[in-house]
Amino acid sequence: MEIRVQQKEGMAILEVEGELDFSNVEQLQQEIQRRTEEVVEIDLQGLRFIDSSGVGMLLSQVRHLYKQGRTLRIVRIPDFIREDLDVIGFFQVLEALKTNPNA
Amino acid sequence: MGEVITGNGKILRAYGLEVSGCSLPAEQVGGDFFEFISCDERTVFTVIGDVMGKGFHAARLMETIRHMLRECIRINPHPLEVVRRLNRVGGDELRKCGAFATLCLLCYDGIAGRLTCVNAGHHPPLLLSDGKVKVARCRGVALGLLEDYLGSGEEEFFLADGDAVVLYTDGLVEACGPGEQRYGQERLKEIVRLQNGADADRMRQNILSDLETFTRGFSQKDDVTLVVMKVTGKAGERGGN
Repeated sequence: MEIRVQQKEGMAILEVEGELDFSNVEQLQQEIQRRTEEVVEIDLQGLRFIDSSGVGMLLSQVRHLYKQGRTLRIVRIPDFIREDLDVIGFFQVLEALKTNPNA
Repeated sequence: MGEVITGNGKILRAYGLEVSGCSLPAEQVGGDFFEFISCDERTVFTVIGDVMGKGFHAARLMETIRHMLRECIRINPHPLEVVRRLNRVGGDELRKCGAFATLCLLCYDGIAGRLTCVNAGHHPPLLLSDGKVKVARCRGVALGLLEDYLGSGEEEFFLADGDAVVLYTDGLVEACGPGEQRYGQERLKEIVRLQNGADADRMRQNILSDLETFTRGFSQKDDVTLVVMKVTGKAGERGGN
């Protein structure tokens, strides 16, 4: 997995490429936690594979940033990964967190 | 309950059903599981699930969830209530570890031929009837992701002799072949459709054999678990214990 970081005013964009799984999930988690910007955007366009550890980490970081009054935004999700996330209920959890960050 | 255990597989013959399942870990011990749980003389649960992560940690969490599942069925065997309760008690345990679990629960009443399905973030089952394959519509959020279970509720089917139901984990449809192509649900539906008339154990073997043909030479990242349930309806096989 490769992570490229871009910075804009008040926002960090992390472009993730390759495979996000059990073996490297901490690398992305640490990069998210290192950011101090109000909005952190995770661009998944170059992602080829994500396992449940990756999904769990993303959701826990969304929750973590919401609790701090910040936003973790996940964008440009490839269709085949979007389908997998949809099965788990990933987007329903994001919706629930928007209305109640403690959900 | 007539249950045969064969390595990492199990076959159940009772309640007018033949159910054949197996779990194949990709590398080390994984978090996939399947269960046949007898409820009363006419009802049996077939459950498939996948606990997030790999190795000992996932396997230990999976054992905890399996234990809780049995307890939830014992307390109140209503399928939706089982999943709601399991999300409450198991969800706490999962959240403590920053994990979640997907689960699909089928409850079969062998007298009425009624199958009730509740889903928590798992791929929905496929139903084979008269040579046609249908995907169940039941959906829901995986266990541990929200405090209260959120889903489409129970979906009911009435099964006739010869009808079959296929449950599987994501490791099967996400298995990679040449050019990083995925096995996918469409190929699975087609091979299931071609199994019309085969018994449950043969169906399971044929599906896995097709998967092996597709993935030959490519190492896989995830466990594969597959369960096939077929209504045999033979007299004298209705009861369980």
